[in-house]
Formats: sequence, structure tokens, C-alpha cells
Amino acid sequence: MRLSCLQENLSKGLGIVGRAVATRSTLPITNNVLLATDQGRLKLTATNLEIAISCWLGAKVEEEGAITIPARLLTDFVNSLPNERIDMTLSPRTRTMELKCPRFEGRINGVNADEFPPIPTIGEGVAARIDPEALRLAIAQVVFAAATEETRPVLTGVHSEFDGDRLTLAAADGFRLAVHKAPLAKPVVERVEVIIPARALIELQRLLGDKEEPVELTINPNRSQVLFRLKDAEMVSQLIQGTFPNYTQLIPQSYVTRAVVSLAEFSKATRTAAIFAREGSAIVRLQIMPGGELAPGRIVLSARAEEVGDNVGEVDATVEGEEAKIAFNSKYLADVLGVLHEERVALETTSPSSPGVIRPVGVENYIHVVMPMFVQW
Amino acid sequence: MWQIVGQEAAVGLLERSLKGGKLSHAYLFVGPKHVGKLTLALNLAQALNCEGDEKPCSTCPQCLRIAGGKHADVRVIGRDGKAEIGIDQIREMGHSANLRPFEGRHRVFIIDGAEHLSHEAANSLLKTLEEPPPQVQLVLLAVNERLLLPTVLSRCQKLTLRPLPIPVIEHYLIGRWSVAPQRAKILARLSSGCPGWAAAALTDEHLLSERAVRLGALIHLASVGWEERFAYAAQLANQFHRDRESVGEVLSLWIGWWHDLLLIKGGCGDFITNLEQEAILYHEAEVYSLRGIKEFIEGLQQAMEQLDQNANPRLVLEVLMLNMPFRTFRNL
Repeated sequence: MRLSCLQENLSKGLGIVGRAVATRSTLPITNNVLLATDQGRLKLTATNLEIAISCWLGAKVEEEGAITIPARLLTDFVNSLPNERIDMTLSPRTRTMELKCPRFEGRINGVNADEFPPIPTIGEGVAARIDPEALRLAIAQVVFAAATEETRPVLTGVHSEFDGDRLTLAAADGFRLAVHKAPLAKPVVERVEVIIPARALIELQRLLGDKEEPVELTINPNRSQVLFRLKDAEMVSQLIQGTFPNYTQLIPQSYVTRAVVSLAEFSKATRTAAIFAREGSAIVRLQIMPGGELAPGRIVLSARAEEVGDNVGEVDATVEGEEAKIAFNSKYLADVLGVLHEERVALETTSPSSPGVIRPVGVENYIHVVMPMFVQW
Repeated sequence: MWQIVGQEAAVGLLERSLKGGKLSHAYLFVGPKHVGKLTLALNLAQALNCEGDEKPCSTCPQCLRIAGGKHADVRVIGRDGKAEIGIDQIREMGHSANLRPFEGRHRVFIIDGAEHLSHEAANSLLKTLEEPPPQVQLVLLAVNERLLLPTVLSRCQKLTLRPLPIPVIEHYLIGRWSVAPQRAKILARLSSGCPGWAAAALTDEHLLSERAVRLGALIHLASVGWEERFAYAAQLANQFHRDRESVGEVLSLWIGWWHDLLLIKGGCGDFITNLEQEAILYHEAEVYSLRGIKEFIEGLQQAMEQLDQNANPRLVLEVLMLNMPFRTFRNL
């Protein structure tokens, strides 16, 4: 194996796949990164057996070959080199990779490439294409609602339903539920439901960066892996097995009170209340007051921390229905308001003990359900 | 082909269950050290993932990767030099158990030394153990099942692996490792029916030389005075504080030695364990009375039991030294 490439490209590539390098693993070789020549380019691959990321970079290949090299060592070394051409030569007998650039050189001992876990290649299966902007938004709006503890493994994933030209992502952790519907640029041929680990989607989000090319998506025939293909990179994620709870029945079908408020004002008032809430039990109390002849409707947000203090804030609102009271965990409220971009949001409640619903006004693609907290009013 | 030596009952049961698709979700292999528990567990993992016709074929890529410890879906969870298997290791396992297999058809988790699971780890294992996700096979390996939580025990199907007959091991050593027949005979006797020990002794000279040193000390002790015996007891007690297991090994070695004396005394010299010391054994056997030998073996057993019950090791060992029969001097 002999090739040369630019330090800048190599460093960037290692940064991309480095996210998938295993940190502590029962399979030591997963701490390595696989370097292989692939049709005139250099392919870097890393996996932690949950996700695998590959990326291709431009290189001048003189001799084909493949080797795995400790990822940390290689990354740190390459990052410390000047931004110039790096010549890489592998001596097959000793499995030592030599990196040379003007004035610096290094030799790193590698491990045979065939010991690396086989990276799944997904040829056939259910394929779709999605606009990166739509995917970014969809991931951002649901992934935070996924559970972080392992008590119910399916909830650590994001339920992804591909149906026609629509992708529905849903995540829930037992206290809240986020559902986003995104359009597919290329529809799927059959309806598929899979659970993608939230961690994988967070990595995908990072990988997407500000890329503008559409993302190709493939789910393999036995529904065990999903592949995301970007322009110069690929990510494969294992899927979570199990059945995701039927969440549609958790979304309230009607409401007693609906308040429409400005997102900016509502977020600001929530953040203010959170200052006091975080000192106490993280509770924000919301009172929704319908408007009268003279005064407009409003939502009063209050928080109290025992023996510390309390605060009250107000937001103007267009209220429909009766006066209502409801209390939420301030973090849950702040989380959902933080991922919305519309000008106004609607808060729908039925009773102090039934879930509240938050929807952006003007678009129909997102719904967020939050369980209320029980408080003495 | 199953790589394991002997254990026809266990292999037969696994084979039938595999064919009928009726494998239990979790197995517990119980048997002495080096009897082949891990080998059988890895064989089972191979059979589950094998691409060949006769599973496990040991030649397809899947089988080879499992044998080489490189398979992404087969994980052996052990103590890694620590005192116990911690809860983090089990949580990590629970997490990956819920992901679909990476390269094979089944994920296999082997918990090597299930008696070393910490209390929390064992409890956090229960949920996965009771109802593992489909395509997940759990195998627990244990030497002493009494140290397992009853809640863990009741969730596994138990298979007991027994020590093998000496001729089987002899045959295995000659057939698989091309060991010279005489040496194979000696090693097979020493292995107490555990092929893993015999195979390890082939490559690890240290194992045998340490054994010889320990035996040498024992033979020496029989002919010396109180002072030296007590010094040895003190040294052994010190060793006990650092490494309990090694003292247990020394004492079982002694039991083996006195057992041999008993056999020779009783006229069953063909069955002795320490074959390479045959001459010395015959000589020693003449020195002691049958009764003395029997009583000392009882004393040894009692000492081991007391050490297990956390009695003061130094006292226990000193009592043992007091009970050790003196060799009545005769001209050699």
C-alpha cells in the first residue's frame, strides 16, 4: 500500500470517522481505524459495533492495500503535522505504516485489515432519499426526547416509519413524546418501521453538518441495519430490536383550552421561570387566562423554590376555551421550545392531570406531548 | 465438529436442541476449572452462527472469527483481573443485547465466572437473563453454582460438565497435541480429568515446575521438626492473605499426594495421580500407617473447610502441621 494525500484532508477524514471509534471495547481492534485504497481514493472506516462510519478522501494511490492503525495515535500524529503532502507507505511484512511529510516522519504498527469486523455493505433493501435540511430538522426536533437510561431499551431509539413519501420520526422517554413528519425526496416502495438508536442519529446529525446533497437511506432486507449515504461518507447503524409503543394513542385528540403565544416570548418566560424552578423541584406552573372585553388572554408562568424565593411572568396569548392550570417540568418545556423555529406556538391542555400538547402554528409536521406534574394549586 | 473433548451428554443435548430449534435462552455450564466450559460455550456460539452444513464446521469465516476471538457478536465477559464482574460490564452487555447482530445471526454473551458477578451486576443481569431479546444467547460459566444468586440459577438451564476419564485425556493429548505416550500418561493423571489443564501444562512449563516445588516442600516437611513446620505454616498463612486460591491449590495438591499414599497402601497403586513420583510414593507409603494417612487426609479436608469459613488461617495451618504424621526415620 502506497499513497499520498494532503494532511488537511486526512485530518478532516480522521475527525469524521473518529466519532465511531470505540472507546472501551471488548474487541480491541475496534480502537483502530481501517485505511484502505478504494478506486483511486483513500477510504477510512471506524466502528464501535453500534455504528460504523466510512469516509473517502482524495489521494494519489500508487499501490493498493489495507491496514488498521490505532485511531487515537494516528489522529493525534496527523493533526500535529504541517498542512502539506503526506506520503504513506505500508510495509506488508512488518505491518508498519510509514507517514512522511517534509521534515517530519513517523512509523506506526498496525494490525491486519482482515481482522477488522466486516463493515456491513447494504446493497439491496428498502431505499429512500431525503433532503439534508429536512433530515436535520427532523432529528433535532425528536432526538432529545429519547430515553437515556436502558430500563426500556426501545425508548433509547427513535421510531422511524417510512411510508410512501413520508418519514415519521418519533421519540419518547415516558414523560414526553415528540413526533415529526418529514417529506422524502424519493418515496419508499413499501412501508417500513424501524427503531434507530438515538446516539446514531446524533452522530448522523454531526455528519450532516451543513451538507447540501440529498442523503441516500437504505434499510437492509432483514431489518437489522440502516445505511445513510452522504457525498463522501457513509454511516451504518445497527437497529434496536423490539416493538415501539403505539404512540398515536398517547396524543390527545381534543382539548379544552388552547393558547397561542409568541415562541420568543414564551421561551423567554420559561427560561426565567426555570431559574427558580431549578432551585426547587423543577416545576413551572402555567395558568392560562382567557381574554376579556378589554384585556387580551395570557399565560402566567410561575416557579417557586422553597426557602429560596419565587417568580411570576406573563405572556400575551390568544386563548380559546376555558381558564386552565397545568404544571410542567421546566426542562421539558425549555427543551421543546428550544427546537422550534416558527413564530408562534400553540399549547393545548385538557385538565391539570392530562398531558399538554405543544404544536408550532402554521406547520402540521410536528407535535410534542408532555406529561404534566402534579402540584397543589 | 465440536471442539470440546468428551462431554457427550452436554454436547448431545445442545445438538438436539439446536436441530429442533429449542435452545434455552440461557445456559449455565457448571464444572471444575479447565474442564472445557468456555470451549463448549464458544462451540455453541459457532454452531449458532455457522454458515456450513454441519454446525459448527470450524472452517467457515464465522467459525474462524469466533475461534480467534474476533467476532463482533460473540462476547466473553470476565473479571479482567479485577475482583468481580461489575455492573458496568453487565449494563454495557444489556445495551448491545438490544441491538441486532452485527455480522452473524446471533449475539452470544458468555459470562465467564458467573460466581464473580457482583451483587448489583447479578441483579441487573436478571432482566436480560429472564427474557433476552430474540437472537441473543446467554451462557454463564461457573465452577461453584452455590455462589450464584437463586434468582440467577432459576433463569438458566443447567448443564454439568464432569471431569473426563484419564484415558480419554491421554488419548486427546496424543491425538491433538502429538504428545509422547509416556508424557501424555503423566499429564493425564495430573490433570484430574480437565483437558484444559493438560493442554496448558504442555505449553506452560511453569505450571509443572511449581507443582514439583510445592510437592517437594511437602515431602520435606514430613521429616523436619516443629520449628520448620511452623515457619512454613506462617509463610502459607501470609500467602493466604494475598491470594486465597493459591493456598487452596497447595492443600488440594497435598490431598492428592496423601490420596496416592492411601491407594498404594491399599494395594491400588495403578490409579495414582502423581505418576512421575511413583518411586518416592512407594517408598513413603511404607513409612506411614494406613490410619495415619487417613487421619491426615481428614485433617486436610477439615483445614480447607475451616479456611473457607474464614477461620484464622495461621491457626488452622499450625493445627494442620501438628497433625501431620512424622516420618519414622529409617535408612533410605
